[in-house]
Amino acid sequence: MFDQILFFFNALLQQTGAANLSLGNLVMIAVGGIMIYLAIAKHYEPLLLIGIGFSCIVANVPGPPDVPGGPPVSALLYVVKEGGLFHYAYEGVAKLIIPPLIFLGVGAMTDFGPMIANPKLVILGAGAHLGIFVALILAKVVGFDIHEAGAIGIIGGADGPMAIFVTVKLAPHLLGPISVAAYSYMALMPMIQPPVMRLLTSPEERRIEMAQLRRVSKLEKLAFPAVIAIIVNLFFPPVAPLITMLMLGNLLKEAGVTERLAKTAGGALMNIIIIILTVAIGSTMAADKFLTWDTILIVGLGLLAFVFGTASGVITAKIMNLFMKTKINPLIGSAGIASVPIAARVSHIVANQANPHNHLIFHAMGPNLAGVFGTAISGGIMLALLGVQ
Amino acid sequence: MIPDSVYGAILLSVIDFFLSFVMIAGIGVVLSLFPYLNRLGEVDEKKLREGGH
Repeated sequence: MFDQILFFFNALLQQTGAANLSLGNLVMIAVGGIMIYLAIAKHYEPLLLIGIGFSCIVANVPGPPDVPGGPPVSALLYVVKEGGLFHYAYEGVAKLIIPPLIFLGVGAMTDFGPMIANPKLVILGAGAHLGIFVALILAKVVGFDIHEAGAIGIIGGADGPMAIFVTVKLAPHLLGPISVAAYSYMALMPMIQPPVMRLLTSPEERRIEMAQLRRVSKLEKLAFPAVIAIIVNLFFPPVAPLITMLMLGNLLKEAGVTERLAKTAGGALMNIIIIILTVAIGSTMAADKFLTWDTILIVGLGLLAFVFGTASGVITAKIMNLFMKTKINPLIGSAGIASVPIAARVSHIVANQANPHNHLIFHAMGPNLAGVFGTAISGGIMLALLGVQ
Repeated sequence: MIPDSVYGAILLSVIDFFLSFVMIAGIGVVLSLFPYLNRLGEVDEKKLREGGH
């Protein structure tokens, strides 16, 4: 009888996930917990980290095997596998439906005035992308093929939708780790960027105050989306879907007669997409898939890409200062890495710590917005050079 | 087009980085012409919202 009780208890245990919990699962549950902690306690991009962190935790709580003798399947994977809610969420990411919709929402929420007001600073949007190429070359050196290396490099563009877009085109099998690395590092920029920025600037440079930006007229703001959409569609067709949607969203905002549409694109629609996107990304973080050598390399290379991107942005700004009569604060250079508006906020905060009278946010938004175009241009040229449509 | 080697990765990076600078500088030049748009007149935002333009 005792044997029978033990047998039934054992059978019951096998029906739960407890018997299948691995050390890797515990590590990833801790990673998810840290993400939620940073979101709530430190306010590091809670819109991204809450969803990614929570689904990372649940993806690592194993359930019973799906089929007798098979691997354990987490409850989250039941909704992620075919027929489940988040299967379609992930398909939305993988089939490139969600990234253009994110850009539509970003466009509807963004004032491109700071970029139009100071066109000299758009060059920082290219200067801060050295990280893409450092990561690309290193990825090739450690053994990834050229398409995979290109997809890993684009993490350094610090633009989640663009990273997803380029990865799906170049190396769709790496979509999980690359999107996790891109979005996690974007959220962690307030930790990654400041040490690099301080290392490369003197206290005097960080204290530089910049003159107020000129006022940009409504006519200029109305012309901007159409002009940029024409340029990008003309010269960078591989990435045109994203930038076209970005510009459509912006025109909805600036037109003045489509307030309802702009509000929906930048509000309710954007919120729905964020929920879907973060859960879709977090659900790929199961230990058995995530704790692999390739993923660890990708995450490491992504970090290097962010560090080098930040550094090259600051250095480009310092080089510009050699030729400019009115000096710019080199801290705005790091905002050229994209990741709107996180990188601009970091520039503002670091400058404000050096000089409490310094309010760099609007100045940093110019290079920050140019960084979006810089990443798109780099991605478009990369796809074209690799012969990918 | 680009060889799948470290040399190819360096080549891709150099071309891409250089062209990115050229293209984004081109966008900067276009943007520097934007103030001339204001010579066409001013858009009245209030009228725009009311459908007056």
